[in-house]
Amino acid sequence: MHRRIFLKNMMAVAGLSATACVPRLVQAGVAPEVAVVTNGDYAALVRQTIDLVGGMSRFVQPGNTVVIKPNMGWDRAPELGANTHPLVVKTLVELALTAGAGRVEVFDYTCNEPRRAYQNSGIKDAVESLASGTVRLEHIDHRKFVEYDIPRGKKITRWDIYRPAMEADCYINVPVAKHHGLSGLSLGLKNSMGVIEARGRLHFSLGQKLADLATVVRADLTVVDATRMLLRNGPQGGRISDVKRADTLVASTDPVAADAYATTLFDRRPDEISSTVAAHEMGLGEMNIDKMRLLGNAS
Amino acid sequence: MNGARSGSSHRFRLLRWSRRISQALFVGLFLYLFISTDYSGSDTINQAVNVLFRIDPLLALVTMLAARTVIALMAPALLVVFLSLVAGRTFCGWLCPLGTLLDASRPLVTARRTDNRTLWPWLGTTILVFLVVAALVRVPLAGYVDPFSILVRGLAVAIYPSFNAAADTFFTLTYQHGPDFINAVTEPLYGVLRDTVLPFTQHYFDLALISGVMLIGVFLLELIRRRFFCRTICPLGSMLGLCASVGVMRLRGGDDECGNCRLCGATCRMGAIDAERRIDMRFCIVCMDCLVRCPRQVIDFTVSRTGAPQPAISSRRRQLVAAGAAALALAPLLGVSRVRARPAGGPIRPPGALAEAEFLQRCVRCAECIQVCIGNALQPAWLESGFEGIFSPHLVARTGYCEFNCTLCGQVCPTGAIKHLTLTDKQTTKIGTAWFDTTRCLPYAREVSCIVCEEHCPTPDKAIKFQLVEVIDQFGVRVLVKQPYVIDELCIGCGICETKCPLPGASAVRVTSEGESRNPDSFLPQRSEDLGYG
Repeated sequence: MHRRIFLKNMMAVAGLSATACVPRLVQAGVAPEVAVVTNGDYAALVRQTIDLVGGMSRFVQPGNTVVIKPNMGWDRAPELGANTHPLVVKTLVELALTAGAGRVEVFDYTCNEPRRAYQNSGIKDAVESLASGTVRLEHIDHRKFVEYDIPRGKKITRWDIYRPAMEADCYINVPVAKHHGLSGLSLGLKNSMGVIEARGRLHFSLGQKLADLATVVRADLTVVDATRMLLRNGPQGGRISDVKRADTLVASTDPVAADAYATTLFDRRPDEISSTVAAHEMGLGEMNIDKMRLLGNAS
Repeated sequence: MNGARSGSSHRFRLLRWSRRISQALFVGLFLYLFISTDYSGSDTINQAVNVLFRIDPLLALVTMLAARTVIALMAPALLVVFLSLVAGRTFCGWLCPLGTLLDASRPLVTARRTDNRTLWPWLGTTILVFLVVAALVRVPLAGYVDPFSILVRGLAVAIYPSFNAAADTFFTLTYQHGPDFINAVTEPLYGVLRDTVLPFTQHYFDLALISGVMLIGVFLLELIRRRFFCRTICPLGSMLGLCASVGVMRLRGGDDECGNCRLCGATCRMGAIDAERRIDMRFCIVCMDCLVRCPRQVIDFTVSRTGAPQPAISSRRRQLVAAGAAALALAPLLGVSRVRARPAGGPIRPPGALAEAEFLQRCVRCAECIQVCIGNALQPAWLESGFEGIFSPHLVARTGYCEFNCTLCGQVCPTGAIKHLTLTDKQTTKIGTAWFDTTRCLPYAREVSCIVCEEHCPTPDKAIKFQLVEVIDQFGVRVLVKQPYVIDELCIGCGICETKCPLPGASAVRVTSEGESRNPDSFLPQRSEDLGYG
């Protein structure tokens, strides 16, 4: 608790506290908190994890527009581990509503046909079961891709990015932890590809480009869903034998730290993932596990 | 006598209103089913969406003749035959959605001429004979002139997507440049339209122009005569007219004593009433106009075959013989088309498509599969499989791919040209094979890792794999790249790799029909196989 107050004070000093959502920039020299929780009851798992990082009211102020961005890119059932688990998404939406969100948007720019992906990921039914008019599960509207400058970008300096993701008061990134042929693993930074246009062109020098993107698409909170980990044949899998059930969430306000820690769940080192390395080098977050403050029952 | 007549006038007005209501209901039902021909969140689709093509006796006759088999799916067509035997061309006047749309378009395109005589009244029957004889020699052509094929194809690949494009252009303009008070109206309106009548996403089609022009052409023919298509061209109408002429229902027209007003003949939208005021049941669509209009109320229903003499409009035997002969000549003409020289390696057909010859015999070019294809993968073919393959569906993978978990095309095919496969069967049905063009593929040609293709490959054991290869790049530096390759036995030819390949122009990975499971002659040599070239 002291740490957070300290952090807030630091932010105030830095003149960055204007936004409703807390730290958009990770403070150098401060060990980021990373919550790592394991629990087979996913609703409880989400609540425990969010409590550890300060509770949803730390991120969501009453009336805020909140974007919860899962990975639901594939026409695959939840147990196949290609998409974020629907219960994780649903519980996060519930917490945002409880915190007083004025509008909660859940969307992804899918790889498979959008309606099939929304439906068969289970996320459509899960979110609609809340029967809340405050929650919008809408498909991508191509008119809302707007070109944004990426002033700190090394490889990309302009890109078409989804405006609702950029204009949200609070952006919660909820990737699923899974294997990926090109990038090694698909985690939080990779999940941002779901809010950009023309992503095919991003695939060369992917790591640096994802880091560039992370300078503008900044998650206030990253919740890596490792309830099911797709170990092989990612990013879409399709075989239950490729999935390991881990019932774990990794959450942090530091997007790089969340990715870096989640990498270790696969018995891999953070420095094997090029986007993690590139983002760390740009000062976007911590990748050294020893420099993180781990919270929760699984760490 | 007078009392009886005014009573029947009332009855006829009631029937005419019944006909109008019936037309409105059926065209509404048709449009509803048309818009419903789409993924709805379920893996199965309402089987009624293709009903129009299953009640069409012309397509049923021609398809079954060409395929030499009974197609149970098309059995409902017997109902329409029965209806025509009992009640004449009531189908054309009361039910046919194209006929209704033509009637509805009358305020827009009206025949200005006073002459209501049907031009070339023999042509419809001639086309019918041509189609039937061509089907006998296994050349199926009904889909090019069948009213429903023209209608649904025109709507699906031309009118509907262009309607969406126009709406999208308009609402993008208001969204990006309009002031807030405009958007306060337009954005909710766009939302309602998208939830109701607009397609989920913009689709793009080959032959959109041709399909659209064919349909619009049918409407423009109204400038020459009302219901020109129905009178002069429609082979389905001609077929139902033949049924009507041997059926029981007749309309007794005017006679020598009824006077000379000839209002009935001028009123008739089908030109079915000649100068002698005789009503030709091969053309009458029982619209009730003349019965209501007749000042003396002499026109009435009869059931007697002798009640009305057959009028003089007759099909000319010479034309029918010529049509038959022309149809017979088609078979050898098409048989020497170049595509016949090497049948394998043709277009990629949807999963579940019958072997090519049988597929083309059954396909009625209705575009149901093309419309329902959620990936915009199926396109109407041009000459890829010869003249007789025009408008048949084939997969063009650069702009759309076959969704791994989708079986909708086989579910909507009204003739069984595409079998309704179970999901498991579909996922193991090979419609083609992917091939890498290593002169373009980045890891090979530019020493850059990419493998978007591998990422999207949907088979659980990926058909596209990659190997880490050390290569020397243009600067002479050794670099590790991931080079993709295809496992033929795993690849089902869905084409997602070709669709998603991030190269700007042609894809570096392309799918061809080679190796497709429906064609045993199109086998791919195994890696270890001795090809006998040594």
